[in-house]
Order: sequence, then C-alpha cells, then structure tokens
Amino acid sequence: MQKLKKTNLQEFRKKWSLCLQCGSCYYPGPIVPHNWVDLPPPEWSSPTHKCPSFEYFKFRAYSPLGRANLATLAFNDNQFPITDDLIKIAYTCTSCGMCAEICQAKQPLAAIWALREELVQRGAQLPEPLQKIDANIKKFNNIFGAKSAPQISDDIPSIEEDIYFAGCTARFQKPEVANATIAILKTAGMDIAYLGQEEKCCGFVPGHDGNTQLLEEKAIQNIEALNKAGAKRVIVSCAHCYKTLKYDYPLIVGKLPFEVVHIAELLSKLIEEKKIKFTSEIKKKVTYHDPCFLGRHCNVYDEPRKVLKSIPGIEIIEMERNGRWSHCCGSGAKISSSCYPEYTTAITKERLLEGKQAADTIVTSCTSCLAHMDKTVKKEGMKLEIHDLPILVARAMGIKPN
Amino acid sequence: MDIIGTLEKIVGTDRISTSQTICQSYQFNCFMGREWEMKPDIVVMAETTEQVSEILKAANHYKVPVTPKGVLGGSGHGGPLRGGILLDLALMDRIISIDTKSMKSIAEAGCSFYKLSQELFKNGLILPTPSYCTGPNVAASAIVPANGFGKTRYGPNIDLVEGFEVVLPSGEITRIGSLAYAETDFGPYYRYITGPDLIGLFTRSNGAFGIVTKVAYRCLKRPKRWAFHSYYWRREQIENVTKALMATTAAEIFDVHINDKWRFLWGGYSIQAKDCYFVMMFAVNAENEQELKGKEQTVEDISRSHGGTYLPQLAEAFYTKWPTVFYAALPHTRRKPSTIVIPAETRFYNYLLDELIFPTPRFPEVYNKIEELCEKHGISGLPLPPVFDGYPMKSQVISQQTWVAIDDSDPYWVKQFYKLQGDFREWFGNKGGTFQMKVPPLVPDFCWTNQSGTLNLLKSIKSILDPNDILSPGTFELGGSVKCKN
Repeated sequence: MQKLKKTNLQEFRKKWSLCLQCGSCYYPGPIVPHNWVDLPPPEWSSPTHKCPSFEYFKFRAYSPLGRANLATLAFNDNQFPITDDLIKIAYTCTSCGMCAEICQAKQPLAAIWALREELVQRGAQLPEPLQKIDANIKKFNNIFGAKSAPQISDDIPSIEEDIYFAGCTARFQKPEVANATIAILKTAGMDIAYLGQEEKCCGFVPGHDGNTQLLEEKAIQNIEALNKAGAKRVIVSCAHCYKTLKYDYPLIVGKLPFEVVHIAELLSKLIEEKKIKFTSEIKKKVTYHDPCFLGRHCNVYDEPRKVLKSIPGIEIIEMERNGRWSHCCGSGAKISSSCYPEYTTAITKERLLEGKQAADTIVTSCTSCLAHMDKTVKKEGMKLEIHDLPILVARAMGIKPN
Repeated sequence: MDIIGTLEKIVGTDRISTSQTICQSYQFNCFMGREWEMKPDIVVMAETTEQVSEILKAANHYKVPVTPKGVLGGSGHGGPLRGGILLDLALMDRIISIDTKSMKSIAEAGCSFYKLSQELFKNGLILPTPSYCTGPNVAASAIVPANGFGKTRYGPNIDLVEGFEVVLPSGEITRIGSLAYAETDFGPYYRYITGPDLIGLFTRSNGAFGIVTKVAYRCLKRPKRWAFHSYYWRREQIENVTKALMATTAAEIFDVHINDKWRFLWGGYSIQAKDCYFVMMFAVNAENEQELKGKEQTVEDISRSHGGTYLPQLAEAFYTKWPTVFYAALPHTRRKPSTIVIPAETRFYNYLLDELIFPTPRFPEVYNKIEELCEKHGISGLPLPPVFDGYPMKSQVISQQTWVAIDDSDPYWVKQFYKLQGDFREWFGNKGGTFQMKVPPLVPDFCWTNQSGTLNLLKSIKSILDPNDILSPGTFELGGSVKCKN
C-alpha cells in the first residue's frame, strides 16, 4: 500500500486568507452585470438565489461568506468557542458547491470543509446522525448500518478489469439501480464484476463531515479490494462515490492504479460506440437534475444529457437552473439531510417544484439524489416521477427490471 | 418586555439572533486583514422601511446602538463600533422603479449595484459605476466614500444620488431630495428641491444620522458607441503623466485609469514595451461614429502631446472584460474538481496599503512617497511589487489605492506593513490628504483634526438628531474606540 499523505489542513489553515467579502457567493443578483458595451452572455448568468442555507436561514452566518469568516476565526484562535450554533452553521452547508462555482478564486467551500475538519480535530461533538453514520461505516461498512447482504444480483463475478462500485445507496436502498446498471453493461458486452461484501462505503460522509481519518481507512480498504480484484476501471453510480474515488482517494494515496468513471460517462461512450442498442421508445418529457457532486464538483454535465437525448421518444426540457447553476436537491451529501431534515426537505421541495414546472419526470445521475428526491415526492404526494439514468436506459434497451 | 422581545415582535423570531456565533460571523469585517473586531450583540434583519422605523424606536427606548449593514465588508466599514444591534439590510434588495423617460431609478438600500445596473442596462440606461463585485449596495456605497472606475466624468456614486428615504434615529421616516416628491403627481424628479440639499448630510455618514432605506439615482443614457485606448510613459516622465491626467480629466473623458506597470504583472497581462512604466487607459463613448472619432482624437492628442506612447489592445481588453473581480475566471472555464480540502495556494497575501483621495497635480509626490516608503520597509521588488491603482475623477482629484504583497502568516511582514502604513499616514495627513472607502474612526485621527470645524458641526447635528447616540455611535470620534487586533 502506498503511504498516506499527511492531512493538508495544517497548510490550509496557514495559507487560507479571508475572502474579499464581496458577497457574490450568496447575495441575490447577478455576479456579472455588464461591461460598457454588452450584457454578459446568458451562460454567465448566475441564479438569483444561490446558497440554499442562506435562502432558508437568512442570516449571513449561514452563507459561504459567513462560514468562511467563522472558519478564519477558528483557524486563528484555538480558543474560538465551539457552540451548538457553530456546529449547526457548519453542517447545514449542503456542500452544493454553488459558492465555489461563483468564487473561483477563494473557494469558500474548501474553508467550510476545513472548518469541519477543525471541529473534529478539536474534539467537537458532531450532530448525532453523523456520529451514527460514521459508526455504521466503521462497524458495518455502509452508511445505513445494514447488516444483511445487499440485494444485488449474485450472477456476477468479483474479479474483472471492469468493476462496478455500487455505493451504499444503490446497494441497500436502490438495488434496482445497481441491477439495471449491471444488466446494461452485460448486455453491452462488457465483462463486469462487483466486489460484493468486499465493497466498503467510499467514505464520502466522514470525509466531508470532518472525520477524514475514517475516509482514509475506507480509501485504503477499497483500493486494496479493487486492486485484488484486478480493477483497471471502476464504474460508479453515485456522484458522491465518484467524487470521492476519483478526486479524494488520490489525495490520500497518490495516483490510483485504476481509472474511475461515472456510469453516465460510460453509458455515453457505449452509446457512441453503438454497443448499446435501444429497442423501446420512452415517450416522456424529462428534465435532468445535475447532481451537485457530478456537475459542479466533477464537471460532468454533458454525458448524462447525451444519454437521455439518445433514448428514443424522450424529450428533454431543462429546468431554469441547470448545468453549472443547477440548484441543490437538498440531500446535502447525506450530511445536512441526516441532521436537519426539515431544512433540507424545504430545499428538495423547491427543486422538485422547479422540476415539475419543466416536465413530469426528473432524471438524475446519483443514487443519493434519487433516494432523497424520491422520498420527498412520496412523502409530499407529488405527481412526479424520479429516475436514475440507468433505469431509463435499461427500460429503453428492453431489459426487464430485476 | 425587553429589547429582544420588542425586536422579535417587529421582525419575527427568525429574523433576530443573539447567538454568539451568528454575531461573530459579522465581526470579521475588514479587508483581507484582521484589523478590526466590530462584533454586534444582536443581529436583526429588516425587510421593510416600517420595520426599520420600529427597530429604531425600540433602540431609542432601550438606548441600544444600531449600525446598518449591507453586504460588502470591503475596507472595514459598516461594522458596529460599540456593539448593540447590527441591522442587516441584505433582505431589502428590491428595485422599486426604473423610469426610462426621466432616466431615474429607485431601489431599496440592500439592492446590489450589479442587480440595478443590469436592469438599467436592459432598459437602455447605465450608472457609470461598475463595481467590482456583487456586494456593494445602492445605499452603502452612498453612505460610505466608495469610488471605483467609471468616475472620471461623473464623480463618485453620491453625485448621481437624487433622493433618499431615511429613517431618522427617532424612527421617523422621511424622504429627502427628489424622493420628498415621491407622492406628488410629478413624482421624484430632482435632487435640488426647496431649501438646502440634505442628501449631503447622510453622505459618508456611516449611517450616523439616519438609516437610508431607499435611494433614487439619476441614470445616464447608455451610449451606443465606445472606444478604449491605452498609452504608456516611462518612469522619468511622471510629470508628463500628471499633465496628461489633468488634461484628459478636464476634457471630460468618460473614464481615465492610471496604473504603474506592476498592475499588469499581477493581472497576468503581458506588456512588450520594455520602457513602459505608467499606463493610462481611457474609455470614451458617443452617440455616433463622428463624435466618437473626435473623442478618440482628443485622447490621442493629449497623450501624445505629453509624451505618451500608444499601447495597443490593453485598454480594449481591460474595459471590455466584464467589470468584476471574477474576470479572472471569465469566460467561465470549468474549474478544477473540488477535493476535500483544497491545498491553499502558496501565495502572497494582498494588503491594501490605504485608499486615498488627493489632488491630481500632486500625483508625483504621492507616488514617489509610496515608492520610497515601500523600499524603506522592504516591501518592494519582485515577485510582486506594490501596485498603484488610480482613478482620476472630476474636480482634478485622484482616488487611489496601493496594493502590497506580503505573507500575512509571517508576523515580520505584517509588522513591516503596519510600519509602512504608519509612516505613510503621518506624511499624508500632514499634507492634508483624505481617505476613501474607510469611514472614521477607522482612518487616522488627522482626518478629523484637519477639519475640526466640520467635526464640531457634525457633532452638534448628531446631538440634536440622535440625542441618545444610538446610530452608528463612535463615527465622529477620534480613534481609539476601535478594537484593533494587530
């Protein structure tokens, strides 16, 4: 195993400098007005309402700027009081990344994540649901604390060059996504394997709630298991797993011995190579919800849309806030939604209503977003279909649900 | 009922906080430094003028200080010097009206310039005030001495203000200037109504005489044609540069901008001319091609007659970039994927030496002094020499800021910086210089002692309007009332 890199919090704390306090990360209104000659091109227009937690709580403390201020104060003063409010402020950030998209120079979100690390290092009590998730990961290797084996097709080897990394949500909450993904890839002629019990939680939640040590443990375990299985390419369903495997693991162990791709990227490639053939029409008006961690955090915007466009019968209608300005679904990477469900449900409802204005079906590319939106749709009795991308692809390929 | 209960009744329980942490999030209110703590005890978010009025009545009753706040924390203004209530006006951000015929606009205090500016642009109007970022609000930039580029012909923002709606310390809502006529058939149409111009009383007041809740701006017709040109001068031509600054300002060129070449080292521009030291950039506009050509000719004649050399493309790139701090990121290339904690770049920390106003004819003296003191304190030379950034304005004054680059994690450099600032301020104060952006007492005492008659008059007015001294207390006092961490 490669050596762990030392945490870079120390370095970050030292070099992080306070932002200009311009407020663009959360303040209503455009971030670019006009130059002397022209209005900015439409794709530069940021949404009027940017930060989900500021929009809900209204106090500046709940904006990226306010959090960055508090982070700076905490970095500079080891006696800075850790109050319940500080914990709430730190963990109500959904990590949607809108602020970092706007403020590309100063990266307020990095400061917020560093603040969480700082809180953990100082021994602060995390909100109870996070303690539970972290404990579940430690003990049961999944965020839900599920003891039973996941309901994923066992007709799949565990050693291949292409390994499907399902993630906790697809394994335990949305197995239909995992099964559809496996079936699609097999039908496309791929030899695909799945680690089964050897697949551990990717460590996203602890990595982003400040408990980076647990992320490191999971990273090492997963990389070892994937190496053992002969992985040359790892295919993931969940946007959070994708970001963690592809961009966070290398921070811990250096260059990975395998490639990490999101299922949306792979499907797009397989369609282009004509390895996926659609046999049924799906007559639907759909809108695509960009998962924050696939879009803003990992720059995957086009591939899911290419896949949807290639499905016969599907008409894509974009929501008002889409692509890089897409609004958070409220899942908050499981962190905010586990700790502050009332608040995150409000965000979800807002996003679902936006989706409903555009179409009768929302498609996303993240099992965590799917589970969160689906739960809210059911709870609120909304007439809206929510699907993960592989489900529609499988249906259009004539694959029967397992 | 106590003050908290009263405030809760006014704004609702979810718009008020006494949380230590929430208050602290407003405290760090300074420009990329850690100079001032201005922590409130209570944060209140008002959404209407009427709420502001009720809040001030309550504050008067309980004798609790109130300081208004927009969004930008730029240079350290806008924070409570004496604790009490911080009145966050961020939620009062509506555009009330845009009158394209009379070329007027009215907006709530917390409305960002960007928001107003973009709407005006769509309606064929402009404000010649492209701020750098979203934060500056229409009211905040009038009650603090805010400047920026686009000011040469039209002066600071306040020169375009025609009316204020103000809540006086007593809670009385009053409308002054054009807004005094808001309810008449003609509506608000002119700043200079019967009697003295009261808008000035609230200008640069830091909210000490009343809280501005609405602002009426006179706007300009959006010119159809624009041209941008730049010229450079050698270091030893500083007197010629000064003459060119004065001549182009006198010719009412729309905008004139002056930098030394170090600005372009920071900005990533590449200037090929080896002898280039000072760069002036000009923006001219006109209704038609003929008029534009004439103005371009004026710029060329003035620049060349004072020894300037044409520098192609620089001004074009500068002015047609979108005027935002985000221009470095625009057009938006997709950023690097985020990682858990992004290693902070090892880079120098930018400090603003000071933000000054001084007479344009004295540019060489000021420039040479800054250069001399930077060298004295070792804050000069590569990789990032101090940058002079100047905005000549009508009245033949320069609004200017100097950026220096130090590593703020190193106490030695922080100390050197403050020595430099202290030396410069002493010299500048003796000369009679004034400041922009910062509000007293965050600027040196000489800002008041150099104008003691004015200070006494302001104090007298303050004692009449605000006998309990609840609004932005400390504004008209000499320094020392500010908790300085460094």
